[in-house]
Amino acid sequence: MSAQELMDDIDAMFSDLLGEMDLLTQSLGQDTVPPESVPTISKEVNFSMDFADLNESLHELEDNDLDALMADLVADLNATEEKLQAEIQGLKVPSPPPADLPPPPIGLNTHSVSSHAAIPSSASSTSNRVSTSTSSATSPLPPPPPQAAKPTMEEIESQMKADKIKLALEKLKEAKVKKLVVKVILNDGSSKTLMVDERQSVREVLDNLFEKTHCDCNVDWSLCETYSELQLERTFEDHENLVEPLSAWTRDSENKILFQERGEKYEVFKNPQNFYLWKKDKKALKDIKDKDKEILIQENFCGTSIIVPDLEGVLHLKEDGKKAWKQRLFQLRASGIYYVPKGKTKSSRDLICFVQFDNVNVYYGKDFKNKYKAPTDFCFVLKHPQIQKDSQYIKYLCCDDAWSMNLWVTGIRIAKYGALLYSNYKTSEKKAAVSAVWTNRSTPSSSSSSTPSPTIKAKSQSQANGHVPKPQSGQDFGNVLPPPPFEVLPPPPPDPFLPPPPPPLAAKSCAKRHQPTNFPHHPQAVDNLPPPPPTPPTDDLSETPPDFLPPPPPASGFGTLPPPPPLHANSLPPPPPPASFEAMDQSLPPPPPDPGFLPPPPPQPVFTGAGAPPPPPPPPPPAAAAPAPRAAVRPTGSVRKMPPAPPARTTPSLQGGDGDFMSELMLAMQKKRGNQ
Amino acid sequence: MAAWDLSVTVEDLGSDAPPVTLSVMSDLHVGGVILKLVEKTQMKRDWSDHALWWEQKQQWLMRTAWSLEKYGIHADARLLFMPQHKPLRLGLPNGITLRLRACFSSPVFHTVIGICRMLNIRHPEELSLLRPVEEKKKKKDKNSAEEIYDLTEVPLSSVSRPSLYNGMPAHFADSPQMEAIYKMLSVTQPPPAPEVIAKQYRPASVVDKAHINGRWLDSSRCLMQQGIQENDRLWLRFKYFAFYDIEPKYDVVRLTQLYEQARWAILLEDIDCTEEEMMLFGALQYHISKVSQSEPQMQSSSAAMDDLESALQCLEVKMEGESSSASEMLDIMTAPELNDYLKIFRPKRLTLKGYKQYWFKFQDTSISYFKSKEESIGEPIQQINLKGCEVAPDVNLAAQKFLIRLLIPAPEGMNEVYLRCENEQQYAQWMAGCRLASKGKTLADSSFQSEIQSIRSFLAMQKSNSGSHGNVPDDESINTHSLVSPRYHKKYKAKQLTPRILDAYQNVAQLSLTDAVMRFLQIWQALPDFGLSYIVVRFKGSRKDEVLGIAPNRLIRIDLGVGDVVKTWRYNNMKQWNVNWDIRQMAIEFEGNVNIAFSCVTADCKIVHEFIGGYIFMSTRSREKSDTLNEELFHKLTGGHEAL
Repeated sequence: MSAQELMDDIDAMFSDLLGEMDLLTQSLGQDTVPPESVPTISKEVNFSMDFADLNESLHELEDNDLDALMADLVADLNATEEKLQAEIQGLKVPSPPPADLPPPPIGLNTHSVSSHAAIPSSASSTSNRVSTSTSSATSPLPPPPPQAAKPTMEEIESQMKADKIKLALEKLKEAKVKKLVVKVILNDGSSKTLMVDERQSVREVLDNLFEKTHCDCNVDWSLCETYSELQLERTFEDHENLVEPLSAWTRDSENKILFQERGEKYEVFKNPQNFYLWKKDKKALKDIKDKDKEILIQENFCGTSIIVPDLEGVLHLKEDGKKAWKQRLFQLRASGIYYVPKGKTKSSRDLICFVQFDNVNVYYGKDFKNKYKAPTDFCFVLKHPQIQKDSQYIKYLCCDDAWSMNLWVTGIRIAKYGALLYSNYKTSEKKAAVSAVWTNRSTPSSSSSSTPSPTIKAKSQSQANGHVPKPQSGQDFGNVLPPPPFEVLPPPPPDPFLPPPPPPLAAKSCAKRHQPTNFPHHPQAVDNLPPPPPTPPTDDLSETPPDFLPPPPPASGFGTLPPPPPLHANSLPPPPPPASFEAMDQSLPPPPPDPGFLPPPPPQPVFTGAGAPPPPPPPPPPAAAAPAPRAAVRPTGSVRKMPPAPPARTTPSLQGGDGDFMSELMLAMQKKRGNQ
Repeated sequence: MAAWDLSVTVEDLGSDAPPVTLSVMSDLHVGGVILKLVEKTQMKRDWSDHALWWEQKQQWLMRTAWSLEKYGIHADARLLFMPQHKPLRLGLPNGITLRLRACFSSPVFHTVIGICRMLNIRHPEELSLLRPVEEKKKKKDKNSAEEIYDLTEVPLSSVSRPSLYNGMPAHFADSPQMEAIYKMLSVTQPPPAPEVIAKQYRPASVVDKAHINGRWLDSSRCLMQQGIQENDRLWLRFKYFAFYDIEPKYDVVRLTQLYEQARWAILLEDIDCTEEEMMLFGALQYHISKVSQSEPQMQSSSAAMDDLESALQCLEVKMEGESSSASEMLDIMTAPELNDYLKIFRPKRLTLKGYKQYWFKFQDTSISYFKSKEESIGEPIQQINLKGCEVAPDVNLAAQKFLIRLLIPAPEGMNEVYLRCENEQQYAQWMAGCRLASKGKTLADSSFQSEIQSIRSFLAMQKSNSGSHGNVPDDESINTHSLVSPRYHKKYKAKQLTPRILDAYQNVAQLSLTDAVMRFLQIWQALPDFGLSYIVVRFKGSRKDEVLGIAPNRLIRIDLGVGDVVKTWRYNNMKQWNVNWDIRQMAIEFEGNVNIAFSCVTADCKIVHEFIGGYIFMSTRSREKSDTLNEELFHKLTGGHEAL
């Protein structure tokens, strides 16, 4: 196919796409149009629909569960809003604002104020978070994104189309997102309840739990599932989606999810010699130099191909459906587990395939000596994740000691997950390192129960969950100024990784966090600051939240303390913009501030100038306190399946990559035009 | 100083011509001799590549500033004046022989660099030359037919810095013939006929595998010194299995040849693998040969096209990836369905009813069935979600049996369900649907149509295989015996092999050419025996032969009696190694006072020395930022006493 033909095809394809999406967008219009038209009640209805089947268990609800869950729900909404916001702003970048764009601060102000009246609590906290990211990085930039020269009408139009498409897609997608309410058991036996949607990875859920608990975030922290009936357990891998395996649990399941430190999870990266040189004598392994460990990791995980530990040994196998355990010589290879048939050699071509890893997970067996008369208690099991009851399709294997069991289980994980395992480790290592830095720097005073644990947000801020304990109705916010001014605040915190020590007053402020009256002062203080270059956040900025290490203690403080800015000024030599701090605080976890204090999101200011504004993103209707708790209730099991959320709610994709898909296409189109 | 006569044979005058006699004095430098020589021949041509070869000493006189005296040349010296670059017949990893001009005067290491530059292979240090295994001399005529690939006309100067033209080095863009050669280098060869595989030498034991390693040329000496003559046949092969920085964009030829070498290693059981792995290798070969026919070049050329294509690729990736994109969303909304009457059978249920016909509907990743088409609006009798299930074919064309065996996971275990289709067409569609659904993809997935296609082409293979044997197979069908080692020719009939390869194929069918090649190489590299070069040695103090395996990161000792690895030493624990050239013994010292010493049986100890030094050299590469090869270091590590 010649280049020309190819381009024509693309052209045709793209215009088809546009056409269809236009229709779509229109059909979705009623959702997308005015935020005002979505009253609080509609949300209520949605929730009660969602959880109708849970209503009967309402009375068993524990207060703290309820709170936490609500926090999740609200944060979820926030995330939605925030994401939309980010997306819109991101989209805007390629198309330069029209020349007659009004002075941004004013435009933004008016706009957000007006929408603010209509948007209640949850939405506002979101916008705050958006502004956080913006203020840190973008604010010093001059207002209009100067990338492109004056756009042609055509370009603007197509850009707008792209925006509409995006919006419509998000809505469509949201309609299909599955969410679970998950109860996670902590080490001390207490539990946290959170809402997990199907796009969230275990890593994200872990980050979430880091914020909710006060753990040290080391790499060993894991989520584990335990099967009470089968007496199995396994740690989830960080890249896995949590919802999928949980969906396989039966309704009456007694299975649990634990949040624990599991040393074996990444042991292979800490002591690779124990897995790759296991044949050597123990002493040599103990004395191995760090440099040699590094070499082992390089060799086995950083080459073109992942190398599986060379494992071979006699294991006991419980044969299909039988009670007896039989010994066989097994071998682990990248392609599966094999055994040597009776009377044959160990030559590769004679090996019989025992199991391949595509469709099975590996689990540790608990107390199998009792349950299955196993020779030892060091058993592991391979089974399809959906199998929940004892079955001939489950493969039971038994090792002589714990050491060889760990060898096998880890080896199988390496064979099954390959490079993912190592990149998971890298990610959690980074996470642990950052939080270690943080803990060293944070003041000890900060650990009241309502204080968020000192962790940074995970990669995507849109995942923020559970930051707000209780959604409030919107009445407090009338005066609150929208975020734009914050974004604008000049000197962004100089070193985002090392936030200044929490202001001493923070603790006090926590106690007073429900005093909205003070809040209005705050924006005013902000206003006094130098006039803002109101750059809207760009897409990539919105993806860099990990840069912000907000001081945890002040979390709830700023909003409530009478004149918060001065406080900051006192405690911080070069006062970082108070507003941005506050915003960050809001995005922090548990003890969080009343969402009510947060200003509403800046609704796509860009389009106001563009002449043909697309429908504003529908801010999620406020999560009304009353109905939402019902959702949370789940007395017996720890997981509850929920029907897909009604389409009216928008939680746009968490995948950051989405954002640039259209712009890439656009780029290609433009290039093509240039060629013609 | 007295003048004396020096006679020099000038190759260009013809083999019959008498030597040219010059009157020289001992203080004349070599350059002066050449000048005189050229004047005397009165031939006008480019002599710049010519140099003097001293036959008795087996030495090139490359230092033109050195005097005859300094070289120790007297009147009895037999000198040859000839070009340094001469044609060589080079057997490539893909089995094809290429004629090209290689340098006969510099160390083989440098000669290989030159060859690789001409062929556009990066990282020439990983390759080397070896003397071929003698073939049974049956078909002399076939050799002449092979030699259509001739690169001897390429001016040596143009190769120095290959600039890309049309996606290939400029010297390949000169003529259609040259382009054909580049295509041969950069496109994988079609699967060989089963007879060709069967005919080739296959090592039966680890000792057999060791013999090939006695054939490597010495990297620190030149071709002339190793008795290689003009037009001799040599093999070019990857010698060090530490492939550095593979970048499909620049490594088209390198990857292709590496794949070919790996493929032949698998087919000839040079490296052992299990049956399951062999089937996967077979499936990948099938896929690679199919895709390389349809997209002959691994990549396109012009920059604009590149950008557009990468954007498109991006688009494609996103469509496939989990993040939904526009088209995916659209697809879901207009998701296609399959509806048809099929027969279902559940072997587990205690029923003798056998197959029962229902109206089936395939939607998203689920199959629902109804009593009849008319009742399909209501609630289905049952809905089966196929996500995560196992799908196996059970097809017999002769008996017109088209069965899809499903193993569907449920909390209680796996449920077996058979679906029986009426004909090929129906089977291909439903099978494709089941396959996709088992991976969580819907019928709307972009791969649905190609999945149907591949199922049909495999059905076609079965047809032609079961049909008359004498027929020339058409393009669509490949004899599956071409994809596996001869062991499986005996074990399975082609039509038994087909479903097994198809089974493995479903996991790779969507890979692009480059990805498929990479996957093949990855699986190859993940084999336990990958990267081992064997040498039969005798350890000091031992009376029996043992095998030393040399891998990129370690040495292993294999006891031939036990047939297993008895000891492993890693290079990073190695303190030093020495060669005693007089008794041809290697001694290696490892940390912790571990000393080993052995003499080599099937290869010169220089070869072993070079292997070990070579791997040490390979491991230094990552630290070096620059692209230029540290030739000096290589020779230092591998040269031995001659080089120093």
